[in-house]
Amino acid sequence: MLQQAFNGLVGGAFYALLALGLAVIFGMLGVVNLAHGAFYMLGAFGAFVALDSFGLSFWVALVLVPPLLGLAGVVLERLFIRRLTPLDPLYGFLFTFGLALILQDLVKREYGVSSQPYPRPAELSGTVDLGLFTYPAYQVFVLAVSVLVCVVVWVVLTRTRVGMIVRAATERPELTRALGIDVGRWVTPVFGFGVALAAFAGVLAAPMRAVNPLMGADLIITVFAVVVIGGLGSVFGSVAAGFAVGLVSALGNLYVPALSQTMVFILMAAVLLWRPAGLFGQQEAFR
Amino acid sequence: MIMSRLARAGRGGPLLLALGLFAALVLPWMIYPPVALDIACWALFAAAVDLLLGFTGLLSFGHAAFWGGSAYCTGLIALHTGLPFPVAIVGGAAFAALLALPIGFLSVRLSGIYFAMVTLAFAQMTYFVANQWRDVTGGENGLQGIPRELFGLDLSDSFSFYYAGLPFVLVGLFVAWRIVRSPFGRVLVSIRANPDRARALGYPVDRYRLLAFVLSAALSGMAGGVFAMGHGFASLEGVYWTTSGQAVMMVILGGIGTLWGGAIGAALVVQLQDFLATAGFAETGIITGSIFIVVVLLFRRGIWGTARHLLASRRKAAAPGEVAAEPRKSVDTPA
Amino acid sequence: MRVTGWSGCLAATGLLLAGCAGGPGGGGGKISDDKVVLAVLNDQSGIYSATSGKETIEAVRMAVADYQAKYGDKVAAKEIVVMAADHQNKPEIANSKAQELYDRQQADVILDVPTSSAALAVATVAKNKKKVFIDVGAASTELEGKSCNKYTFHYSYNSYMLAHGTGTEVTKDGAKNWYIVYPDYAFGQDMEKTFSAAIKAAGGTVIQSDPTPFPNDNFATFLLKASNLDPKPQVLGTMQAGGDLVNLVKQYNEYKLRDKGVGLAIGLLALSDIHSLGPDALAGTRYTDSWYWNTDDKSRAWADKFQAKTGKRPTANQAGNYSAALQYLEAVQRGGTDASDEVVKQLEGYKFEDMFARNGTVRAQDHLLLHDAYLAEVKPAGEVKEPYDYVKILKTIPAAEAFQPQPDPACKL
Repeated sequence: MLQQAFNGLVGGAFYALLALGLAVIFGMLGVVNLAHGAFYMLGAFGAFVALDSFGLSFWVALVLVPPLLGLAGVVLERLFIRRLTPLDPLYGFLFTFGLALILQDLVKREYGVSSQPYPRPAELSGTVDLGLFTYPAYQVFVLAVSVLVCVVVWVVLTRTRVGMIVRAATERPELTRALGIDVGRWVTPVFGFGVALAAFAGVLAAPMRAVNPLMGADLIITVFAVVVIGGLGSVFGSVAAGFAVGLVSALGNLYVPALSQTMVFILMAAVLLWRPAGLFGQQEAFR
Repeated sequence: MIMSRLARAGRGGPLLLALGLFAALVLPWMIYPPVALDIACWALFAAAVDLLLGFTGLLSFGHAAFWGGSAYCTGLIALHTGLPFPVAIVGGAAFAALLALPIGFLSVRLSGIYFAMVTLAFAQMTYFVANQWRDVTGGENGLQGIPRELFGLDLSDSFSFYYAGLPFVLVGLFVAWRIVRSPFGRVLVSIRANPDRARALGYPVDRYRLLAFVLSAALSGMAGGVFAMGHGFASLEGVYWTTSGQAVMMVILGGIGTLWGGAIGAALVVQLQDFLATAGFAETGIITGSIFIVVVLLFRRGIWGTARHLLASRRKAAAPGEVAAEPRKSVDTPA
Repeated sequence: MRVTGWSGCLAATGLLLAGCAGGPGGGGGKISDDKVVLAVLNDQSGIYSATSGKETIEAVRMAVADYQAKYGDKVAAKEIVVMAADHQNKPEIANSKAQELYDRQQADVILDVPTSSAALAVATVAKNKKKVFIDVGAASTELEGKSCNKYTFHYSYNSYMLAHGTGTEVTKDGAKNWYIVYPDYAFGQDMEKTFSAAIKAAGGTVIQSDPTPFPNDNFATFLLKASNLDPKPQVLGTMQAGGDLVNLVKQYNEYKLRDKGVGLAIGLLALSDIHSLGPDALAGTRYTDSWYWNTDDKSRAWADKFQAKTGKRPTANQAGNYSAALQYLEAVQRGGTDASDEVVKQLEGYKFEDMFARNGTVRAQDHLLLHDAYLAEVKPAGEVKEPYDYVKILKTIPAAEAFQPQPDPACKL
């Protein structure tokens, strides 16, 4: 039981990382990034290419791939997304949908649809004794690193000036602008950062999940549900909901397997019924 | 502004209408009949999505649930009751409307881009249910062998079935057009333009949105029912989220808020898909994705919208009037 | 509607030409429009492109070349055309394309269609158009069950063959207690049913059987459960395929279930999956396969030829398509015509042996191809001598045992 809960948190870590990136990008740019799943996939492929073509280990990939893809995100924002932000957000949504299709098929063209091999890093192939039970070291590592990243992001958002601007712009966009704070300056870096987070999750996924062009496509819809549950535009909410959904699906798998596929969406429906703006969203601001 | 746009669409009407009707009638002579029927079905589906997107300001990324859900229901009625196929199609459309009630009730509480996310999530849930529940839907094998019964008439030939299915599409398009031009439709447009003002004027905004959502779902369901009849089966592909994406793509390609533009978008996309099947170029996503990007970046009025814009600006040169506006940032989005 | 008009003209011209050439049944020759058209309809971009895809077209071309070489001047089909279409894994496209191939491209036979929903849709078209369809590698047993028809044949494998072979053989080998996980959709549900029945028939017990979400990337719940069940299962039987299977096996190894005494048996394993995971991740895992390129000299010789043309080792599906095309042409040769009814008559009950099908029989009652299947075991990396040489064949499962012993009574040809 405890083990199962722990496993749920590991699954939730991926949701949390992806939802966090999605939330800050949306907050700053008003763009719901449908290509987020594709960036997650690119992160995993980045790790694969680093190992396969350049012989770079998992650790190097973990440090190198996210900033590189983040940089690609910056270029993307400068070239295209910038033009769409003043328009209705649905154009950003449609643009990133097209982008996701292209990225997926470009990777497919190069590497085919079957999964690519990626081994676990040797340092983490053992198990760890957690007192109550032992657990695969890699999974413990994934959870620890994800929590660490989320905490660091939280500290940056609440303790630094940049962070406060970003958070204010995310959660109270109109007010922030009305106060004369120059939000525009931070838009590009935030987009890059969000993309880097997705890529980071992708690199983490490579050793424990199938690395193929479609790995992000279905995941992203679940992450949407997570963001809705957590609270639209709430940074903390998306992270909390990420872990919570991971936990609930793991336990759902165990006790009501027939419902396990639809669990997340039922949860979302319930939250919408009860609190339309999500568990941690500001109710009045999102009508 | 939008009002007069609609009015003008009516003025050039008779000629365009005759042209459109003629095109619909001769289509199976010009292209392969099953493909022609696909185009007709998608045209109605796109119009239904546009009814919501262009006239109510709600982007649904989950209409596959209604198109595909109705396809299953239509198929089940035809398979198990042996009733004439029109009854099955109407039944399917009714089912889609019924399914849209709870989904719409929950989704219209959110607007703008959240609406898109939530409808997408609900459609994905529908997909999972259909996939798992194979006793009813056939699961991944699909619901096969749907009969086309109409008082003993032989409709097995796809050419003749085109003309059996077309009336549903035409009626559906007519209904969509009537809705847009009705007082109800005008309220929708004003809600799209400024929901707060509409609310202040005493309109129950959410209820209007819900009704528009249900109507749009019913029309999508009708299209999906004809589609299922035409192919003789209903499959998971119909409820998968890429189907929603494809309908939206037809709408933006044709022009958001033009209602008829979707038909052009449908014709292009279906033909493109048909062409790609034998083109030997496997990565279709690169092409469809590029279309999305190009239209969104450079061509936001779509084909019909651009044509109308050009026409309007020429008319403007003669007599100053208003110009078809590029879809603006709607006020109701949480940004 | 300029564009539709434009391509409409093209299509109309095509129709006109078809009319001039004399449609099926017209003309005096026994070969309709003086050529035999083989159409490969499959998935060239989606999840099935790894096991079938573009290389399948090459396999069919090889069959044509071998047929022509064998009969030389005596060939019944003087001109043979191989064409291809991509159904993009969408049954709707498969359905329209199949009609178009039969009607407008004069296709005499459609081959492949590895996606079950698409295969069933094409079977209906074949029935309506009275044209031959040989499906290769769709897993659904409905093709020879309630959806069977006179013009449809099913080749290579089905979910029964996969599940029955592994379930029976691994249980007989001493693994009596099973824990089964299966993806909760038609394929997985079918597999689970057949697998459990085979285990019971062989004297084993299914301790528990759990459906999993599909697609799914986190199997930890089930893997943790596996080692805690009472009694402890000796084997984890998984019906997952493709990306989900890779996810599951990666996590299986992470939880070190093998060290805890829970072995692994797989319903459907493709060579590409072994390649993704690395043979060590799967070493010792058993599964049933309909063909393996390195089984003997005959298959190996063909695989070498295939590799020379495509640069890849053939999958069972690709080899199956070669055999299906070859046997179709042989039937045309025997009957002296490509008229569908005659070809069907020639194929029904036909016994043959080729590079792919050993002890092959086309069962007359349901048009299922019966042939020997193989129980395979993944080798550890140390024993792999060349690329894609990942498995050894432990046992041949005779044709009579490999497939459903009795035709499904629901099938009425």
